Amino acid sequence: MRTLGIIINSAYVRGLIGQAIFTFAGIGLVGGIRSAMGLETNVEPGVVLGAILGVIGFLLFAGVLTDWLKWIAGKKTPLRHGVPEGKPGWSRYLNVDVNHKVIGIQYGYTSILVLLVGGIFALVFRLELAQPGIQLLDAKTYNTLFSAHGIVMIASILLGVGAMTNYLVPLMIGASDMAFPRLNAFSYWVGIPAVVLILSGMVVGGWDTGWVGYPPLSLRAPLGVVLFLMGFYLNGLSSIASSINLLVTVSFMRAKGMTPFRMPIFVWAAVATSLIQFTATQTVGVALTLNVMERVAGLTFFNPTNGGDPVLYQHLFWFYSHPVVYVFVLPGLGIISELLPVFSRKPLFGYKWIALSSLGIAFVGFLVWAHHMFTSGMNDALRIPFMMATMFVAIPTGVKFFSWVATMWEGKLSFETPMLFVLGAISVFLIGGVTGPILGTIPTDLHLHDSYWVVGHFHATMFGGFIFPFFAAIYYWFPKITGRMYKESLGKLHFWLMVPGFWIMSLGQMQIGLLGMRRRIVDYEAVLGVQGTQVLITIAALVIGWSVLIMVYNLVSSARSKEMAVTNPWGSRSPEWQIPYPVPEFNYDVPFEVVGDPYDYGLDGSEYVHTQAAPVPSGD
Amino acid sequence: MSAYTKAQPGSHHEAHDEDRAHELPYATQVRANRLGLWLFFISEFFLFGALLITRFYLWNVPGVGQTRPELSQELGLITTSILLLSSFFVYRGETAMTFGDRKTFTQSYLLAALLGLLFFVGVVVMEWNLFGLTLNMFGIEWFGHLKPSDGVHGGVFYMMTGMHALHVISGVGLLLIAWNRGRKGMYSVERHWGVEGIALYWHYVDVVWIFFYPALYLIGKAV
Amino acid sequence: MGKAKHYIAVTVLIIAATLVLRFFVLGPLYRLPMAASKEAGPIDVMFDAHFWLISFLFALIMVFMLYAAVVFRRKPGDDEMGPYVHGNTGLEIAWTILPTVIVIGFGVWGAVMLNELTTPNPQEMTIRVWGQQWAWLFEYPEQGNVTTPDLVLPLNQPIVLEMESRDVLHSFWIPEFRVKQDLLPGRKTYLRFTPTEPGDYEVRCAEICGLQHAVMIAQVHVLDEAGFAAWADERMAAPAYADMTPVERGQVWYTEFGCNACHSVDGTALAGPTWQAMYNHEAQLTDGSTATVDDAYIRESIVNPNLKIVTGFAANVMPQDFETRMAEKETAVLASEGVQLDIIADIIAYIQTIE
Ligand code: HEA
Ligand code: HEA
Ligand code: CUA
Ligand SMILES: [Cu+2]
Repeated sequence: MRTLGIIINSAYVRGLIGQAIFTFAGIGLVGGIRSAMGLETNVEPGVVLGAILGVIGFLLFAGVLTDWLKWIAGKKTPLRHGVPEGKPGWSRYLNVDVNHKVIGIQYGYTSILVLLVGGIFALVFRLELAQPGIQLLDAKTYNTLFSAHGIVMIASILLGVGAMTNYLVPLMIGASDMAFPRLNAFSYWVGIPAVVLILSGMVVGGWDTGWVGYPPLSLRAPLGVVLFLMGFYLNGLSSIASSINLLVTVSFMRAKGMTPFRMPIFVWAAVATSLIQFTATQTVGVALTLNVMERVAGLTFFNPTNGGDPVLYQHLFWFYSHPVVYVFVLPGLGIISELLPVFSRKPLFGYKWIALSSLGIAFVGFLVWAHHMFTSGMNDALRIPFMMATMFVAIPTGVKFFSWVATMWEGKLSFETPMLFVLGAISVFLIGGVTGPILGTIPTDLHLHDSYWVVGHFHATMFGGFIFPFFAAIYYWFPKITGRMYKESLGKLHFWLMVPGFWIMSLGQMQIGLLGMRRRIVDYEAVLGVQGTQVLITIAALVIGWSVLIMVYNLVSSARSKEMAVTNPWGSRSPEWQIPYPVPEFNYDVPFEVVGDPYDYGLDGSEYVHTQAAPVPSGD
Repeated sequence: MSAYTKAQPGSHHEAHDEDRAHELPYATQVRANRLGLWLFFISEFFLFGALLITRFYLWNVPGVGQTRPELSQELGLITTSILLLSSFFVYRGETAMTFGDRKTFTQSYLLAALLGLLFFVGVVVMEWNLFGLTLNMFGIEWFGHLKPSDGVHGGVFYMMTGMHALHVISGVGLLLIAWNRGRKGMYSVERHWGVEGIALYWHYVDVVWIFFYPALYLIGKAV
Repeated sequence: MGKAKHYIAVTVLIIAATLVLRFFVLGPLYRLPMAASKEAGPIDVMFDAHFWLISFLFALIMVFMLYAAVVFRRKPGDDEMGPYVHGNTGLEIAWTILPTVIVIGFGVWGAVMLNELTTPNPQEMTIRVWGQQWAWLFEYPEQGNVTTPDLVLPLNQPIVLEMESRDVLHSFWIPEFRVKQDLLPGRKTYLRFTPTEPGDYEVRCAEICGLQHAVMIAQVHVLDEAGFAAWADERMAAPAYADMTPVERGQVWYTEFGCNACHSVDGTALAGPTWQAMYNHEAQLTDGSTATVDDAYIRESIVNPNLKIVTGFAANVMPQDFETRMAEKETAVLASEGVQLDIIADIIAYIQTIE
């Protein structure tokens, strides 16, 4: 009963109620004004205002804005710390909390939940695609499902990236929290109404533009597209706020002696990611806003019948949406670099090169966006420089691969679940990566563009660059987070189901793409000769789905077990593993000092972090 | 390199306060805030940059070159001057606060907020002509005639001025908050990050307009 | 030395794995559709080069990784550290430079080839392509402006498509020809190729364009020179519109204006109501009323499609510019044949015949 009470009174439930109330208020307000002014009935302006107000309502009711509002009123607001009075510890996770570890975990489980939702969409439309002809879904539902699958999965990735950076970075650099804890909470909580908007877009008519929302199609698509565009926008807002927070944290809150090249390598990845997020995201925000305004307020930007230009949207969109693919993968590649030395018992090979290659990828990533537009009809003179730039991304990415292999070489490798996922990640990201240049050279892209080859390419990069490393990170830090060990056997089972599942799915997609299978179609012709592979892909998708469920079961059941894990099960040198469970509210009761390099495994007598004195018992 | 040191309970400038024991020392927090704000400006630079690019992309007519809508030059000049003047007062107020002159500070911020509001009215009520008025005085067209639906000219113009006006009106809100808190004596010579941050923001919004104004009113052939 | 053994083994394995991947995995499984255009030749060469690169790079990293995983695995009870090796600048530089050379090579090759693919050929024949939700229309300016819903191409004749969309983005793709180009509203885009294999293919729209994107397909027939000439002559000699009955003309308009994309004549529900047995029947409208499908109703629905929407279908799907497009066509026919047609009347006549 008490449990139920806490759930009903949680920030999620309150927020959703607030969102509902404010949304309907907004819709009613605009509707009322419009009918009073005698304008023709058009629900869209009301929906837009309702959506905006709804987000504010969510934040207000959930209590995200409370401190700021008090500040405006001139009241001092201490940061709220620790478990709320008289409530069980877990209730923190259901309410607005400013501790970075709590927020990191909130990001984490939200990411997995959203992944399951997006995955279900994929499973449903995969069933449809198993056979030519239309069996299960009509064209409208199919279009909505794949569009929602794309954007929901991307939201899940952004949440997962937030989980890793929020939980790990302050711990790794020895900070007590993020630089702006309230902003940090805001970044997380604003993502919830974003997902709500996207999902409700599916209910009110859906949309058929894919996750890219190209006009003029998006200007005539059903109402759902407006909510999709706005949800997407909010995700961006969340990214911007959290990336600025992270950059400031890393700038000012590193422990004594932690010079840039002594930071754990994941921090470099997080910095490179944030550099992309806090800049490029604004342009997609502009693209989405212009799109909504054109649709709802009658402004003209993209519709050629009024003098607009649809290609402009594509430029604005991809200026973000290409770099963002490196947002998806850089933290994951950071995890790979972080874990490999631990499980190889050997220093990270070429630390500086790996660190700088993250920045290199981020930088070159800004110069290649138009490779998504090789067939768009943009100026011919632009195509060649973009082709060249695209090819160059391979270079810093290659540096990472070669350095990883060199790290493993002659090491002492052990294969616990996190390491398995790391190796899986390397192989999967490799196939995703090497299927990129063939898209980058225009003559071959003319065939492959908008085919399933592209679908295969990006599932491989996203699985290899995000899903596999994310799972590795979850297993690896699970003992740190919960103090318990996950079940190794189930972890291995998860891996050995997911790997073949993934390979069949992604390689199958590439194969049918070559044969002429287009993206985003509900139905294909039997003459293409892709049917056998389609069935395999669908089966593989189901296997992946099962394997993820096994992970969820493993995590939940292990977290509830009585048996405690040892403090540093992996023998890592990273500071967060040097302190026992639970991590204190402010991470290190005694600040540590960095006295050596992070990955000097095998260097006798070396030390990375040095804690001067034992913590004085605080006596509470 | 690392400026982060833990706040020591009971250290001389920080009274012991269990709630705040783990917060950053004020000096570090201000430096963090400053960096955060500048990063925010860089971020917003991409927002306004994208709008400018949209403008130069869409208002470029093949064979004609850059174009712009026919707008009341005088109105543009007047609103621009008002905004620049407000920036001066913000500067004056902030400087006064660093010297502890609270009265000048509150007066200047209030004045700046009013000027900002005037600018907002100039754009939204007069240039956008929200109420569909006409007035011709001193040979100046006081209310704009460009409509949002006037093709790409209307679209881009309303989008850019609207996005900027949104920043102005939130800036006015922030100035008023600072003014109110200042009135209640909540800032001191040592601790007035709020005053500084809002001033920076206001100058930033001004600088943006310095790019927007020529892009909207001056560059290109009026059509 | 012990170390050399590892490197020799790995080198051999990489070579073997590359060959296996190229010849036994990519070779049989990853096949392109048949090559039916001149352009497909060099493009396929480039595909082949990329497949080699993919095989090699994948083998390179994977062999190293798996070899390390097997050979350097930690033995039970061994809790020693690995050797303290933290980098090698020479190696890092090498594996920065080598890929650079390779990717520049591919970039330059791609640029040169792209240039060849897009340079106009003095002998090329122009065909106009119109895309609309969800139909294709082809117009032959050099063959007396005949129009067809199927694309008919002369063998070995360089073609340039001059393409434009009437509504949203579409993309022209014939997999056997390897080339693709988007169609934009309000702007012309061009695509050049030379068909080299007679036969039947399909143009498939490759850019998501809404509800029926999946079925936006047109037939392509590549005929030899004589066949094409015969086809063109036949089309040009096609009975003047004036000589056709209204029903025959209506049938022509049905495909020419793309009505067939959304209205079936066999009862299937597409994006719009089927035309089968529609005439003189009651239509249930979304506003709750009903309407009889008579001449006036059909005319209104074509000119102003959003006015009345049949339940089960969405507004804003049907193009709203049919009135102008049909008027243009009527003017063109008036100019060439001197007869004033009423296209909508023809369509109505045709609809009446569909039982
Ligand atoms: C996580 C995401 C991710 C990542 C990391 C990448 C990485 C790359 N992508 Fe991918 N891509 C996507 C996600 C990603 N992509 C998505 C989502 C789309 C589709 C969007 C949509 O339309 O919906 C897409 C589409 C896409 C296109 C457009 C295709 C089309 O629609 O026509 C192109 C074209 O150039 C491309 C290229 C590349 C390249 C060159 C890389 C490179 O970064 C890869 C570099 C890596 C390697 C090359 C491997 C390792 C390197 C070595 C071992 C060194 C030696 C290498 C050489 C000598 C080559 N991608
Ligand atoms: C992280 C990103 C991500 C991930 C993980 C996935 C995962 C999957 N994707 Fe996704 N996909 C995209 C990102 C992603 N996708 C994007 C961006 C697009 C482009 C969209 C566009 O074109 O606009 C796309 C498009 C796309 C297409 C092309 C659709 C089309 O063009 O018509 C296909 C087709 O096969 C596909 C398949 C799959 C499958 C089978 C999985 C599987 O891995 C899914 C596995 C399943 C699960 C992980 C869920 C498990 C859950 C359960 C079994 C139910 C349990 C229920 C509860 C507990 C409540 N995807
Ligand atoms: Cu036309 Cu897709
Ligand atoms: Cu890209």
